[in-house]
Amino acid sequence: MSADTPTTDHTAAGITDDPVVAALKQRFGDHAILEQATLTGMPVLWIAREALTEALGFLRDMPEPFELLFDLSAIDERLRANRRGLPASDFTVFYHLMSISRNRDVMLKVALAESDLKLPSVVSRYPNANWYEREVWDMFGIDFAGHPHLTRILMPPTWNGHPLRKDHGARATEFDPYTLTVEGQDVEQKALQFKPEEWGMRRENADTEFMFLNLGPNHPSAHGAFRIVLQLDGEEIVDCVPDIGYHHRGAEKMGERQSWHSFIPYTDRIDYTGGVMNNFPYVLAVEKLAGIEVPDRVKTIRIMMAEMFRINSHLLFLGTYLQDLGAMTPVFFTFTDRQKAYEVIEAITGFRMHPAWFRIGGVAMDLPKGWDTLVKGFLDWMPKRLVEYERAMMENAIVRERTRHVAAFTTREALAWGVTGPNLRATGCDFDLRKKRPYGGYENFDFEVPLGSNGDVFDRGQLRIEEMRQSLRIIRQCVDNMPAGDYKADHPLTTPPPREKMLQHIETLITHFLQVSWGPVLKPNESFQMAEATKGINSYYLTSDGNTMSYRTRIRTPSFPHLQQIPAVMRGGFVPDLIAHLGSIDFVMADVDR
Amino acid sequence: MPYTLTRAEDAVAADERYPLGERQRVEEDPMKQQVHRNVFTGKLEEVLNSAVNWGRKNSLWPYNFGLSCCYVEMTTAFTAPHDVARFGSEVIRASPRQADFMVIAGTCFIKMAPVIQQLYDQMLEPKWVISMGSCANSGGMYDIYSVVQGVDKFLPVDVYVPGCPPRPEAFLQGLQLLQDSIQEERRPLSWVVGDQGVYRAEMPSQREKHRDRRIQATELRTPDSI
Repeated sequence: MSADTPTTDHTAAGITDDPVVAALKQRFGDHAILEQATLTGMPVLWIAREALTEALGFLRDMPEPFELLFDLSAIDERLRANRRGLPASDFTVFYHLMSISRNRDVMLKVALAESDLKLPSVVSRYPNANWYEREVWDMFGIDFAGHPHLTRILMPPTWNGHPLRKDHGARATEFDPYTLTVEGQDVEQKALQFKPEEWGMRRENADTEFMFLNLGPNHPSAHGAFRIVLQLDGEEIVDCVPDIGYHHRGAEKMGERQSWHSFIPYTDRIDYTGGVMNNFPYVLAVEKLAGIEVPDRVKTIRIMMAEMFRINSHLLFLGTYLQDLGAMTPVFFTFTDRQKAYEVIEAITGFRMHPAWFRIGGVAMDLPKGWDTLVKGFLDWMPKRLVEYERAMMENAIVRERTRHVAAFTTREALAWGVTGPNLRATGCDFDLRKKRPYGGYENFDFEVPLGSNGDVFDRGQLRIEEMRQSLRIIRQCVDNMPAGDYKADHPLTTPPPREKMLQHIETLITHFLQVSWGPVLKPNESFQMAEATKGINSYYLTSDGNTMSYRTRIRTPSFPHLQQIPAVMRGGFVPDLIAHLGSIDFVMADVDR
Repeated sequence: MPYTLTRAEDAVAADERYPLGERQRVEEDPMKQQVHRNVFTGKLEEVLNSAVNWGRKNSLWPYNFGLSCCYVEMTTAFTAPHDVARFGSEVIRASPRQADFMVIAGTCFIKMAPVIQQLYDQMLEPKWVISMGSCANSGGMYDIYSVVQGVDKFLPVDVYVPGCPPRPEAFLQGLQLLQDSIQEERRPLSWVVGDQGVYRAEMPSQREKHRDRRIQATELRTPDSI
């Protein structure tokens, strides 16, 4: 509230040293680039709109390039009070680039005036900018010149307005109650109809008339509300168009009206098979804003629970992956294991899927008496099951024939499309955040990063079995070395604050009351945290304007780019291979549409 | 027992709102009228009705339809540890035309609502709807621009299962409550017997039924030990 310039020492120092900033300054001149000091841990550079394309091209093609467009979104700055030292801007579009070889990030920001919301499209340099730019158009109404197909992506085609603008309503109850009339049903159904011409597709060529097959939004192998339209020549996929937005829960807008604390349950439901894994990057990003350092016990508990959920999510993946390939039984086995995992999770957190168990500055409760026996029971149970899965399924000749060299892509292609996580590692790229950028205490653990080599459907399956083994190894270390100590940090912004002191004197009682009823107030700044989630890299980019709520919560999810990549992988493939590929991506729609 | 009568209509006006069909509350059991007309056929119809309902409720084929998190818990109920086959509902159908009931397992989005309506329309009578989880019941945590505040804004719901997401056991209980209500239903036994409408029994509220027992609990188990 009081701080007027969002500056902190430890990041400011790191930024000026960054060779990338120096290189950019050398190329474009000192005055063309304005550095913003933030808590994001990467250089945040403001650049003029005219120089954007060139700057991105420069970073894309430099030695040890920034080959991955990690994220692209915008902020409506019109109501932001604390922005001294920043260029005048109504809407700011940011480009978050990542270099695997440097293991560094850089963020470029472009200021736009409300009267002139236009930017050049960067699809030609980063193919995965396509969907991100469509999302920015849909959510903010910012135009991208030269975009091949700038239409709504998350909202229905019949929608009016741009939801993430500050002057757009948030609550459904602010609008008229929803009704569906027979006529309205007709209109909506017509709007959803696929017209190949709009996508530059031909209905026939010299030899054949193509068939357009609509798969989804409800299809057993589409893993939720996902639609993909296939252009078929017989069994062969000539081209396909994924259509998303059937699962858009407005989580980012929700972040702007929930307190820092009460947003935690919403993060659970982003990747809904990941449970507390989703709390991890969010809580870490908030702790950066608050300046909280958590005790070792908290770190170990968090990692243990996150890895429990990784196993749980991978088990769900394994069952459905094999089911998509036509094997009915595995899902019954893996769900039995999931039940075992839930017994542990429920005993510790009190809930199954969405415990929302991490807190700002700690976890909700200490571990219950007898937790270690339970966890050890699970650790004894799992390894032999994994061996069985490998022998019965992954060594099965039919599964191998069906998956090897199917829907394969290289590391280079994966990075161009923004693919992260196990799907990237299946191509042989050794990039696991837990090793490369240890967060939340992962530097204290001994584990390996399994890698694939072919980047095909088989590798993506096999790799996850291997990852479960490594997660078991991490959990074993947690059980053996659980530090003693508090389960919450002793810090004024820990939410809810430790109760013991509150009972002692009136001053702490008042702050306790305010923090529980209104929520903690965080100083104006920007922070960022990414985590190696179950499906890839999940990150939270938080902007605080010195309030009890976030000014902007940007959630970057791994599944969004994974689905965008489908046409590039599947062109020329067969329909059953597409189903195998869908099974091997491991996505849930909440992780795509948020 | 009071009933709600729903009649199918031939002509539908374009501005008609979903859920379609006229609903009418009937105090008297329609069976009783039959009994008044003819004691013998009345009894016969009761026996037939009961037999048909028994068959229907014990072979409910679910539609393989899921929206979000709740679907994972619904699937969990289908797999080995919870085993929905005990209740005769293990035959999951991928086509709405073969399914008996649809579980709205997850959030009902404005973009998805017309699709859900389409799928519901494709299901054949007799058909039922279970609304699973807070989002489907009322919008739940998601009072947000893109979410319909409860699927009952356009679909007729038979059973609401609370939870976010409900446990698999809760889903199974919801399924049993649906079975109980199917047993009480009155549907035409053929196109010439009875009037051509659906009489749906108003089942007792679970909250009221269990309130006395629930408020007995004064001490909850401590979460400090497993």
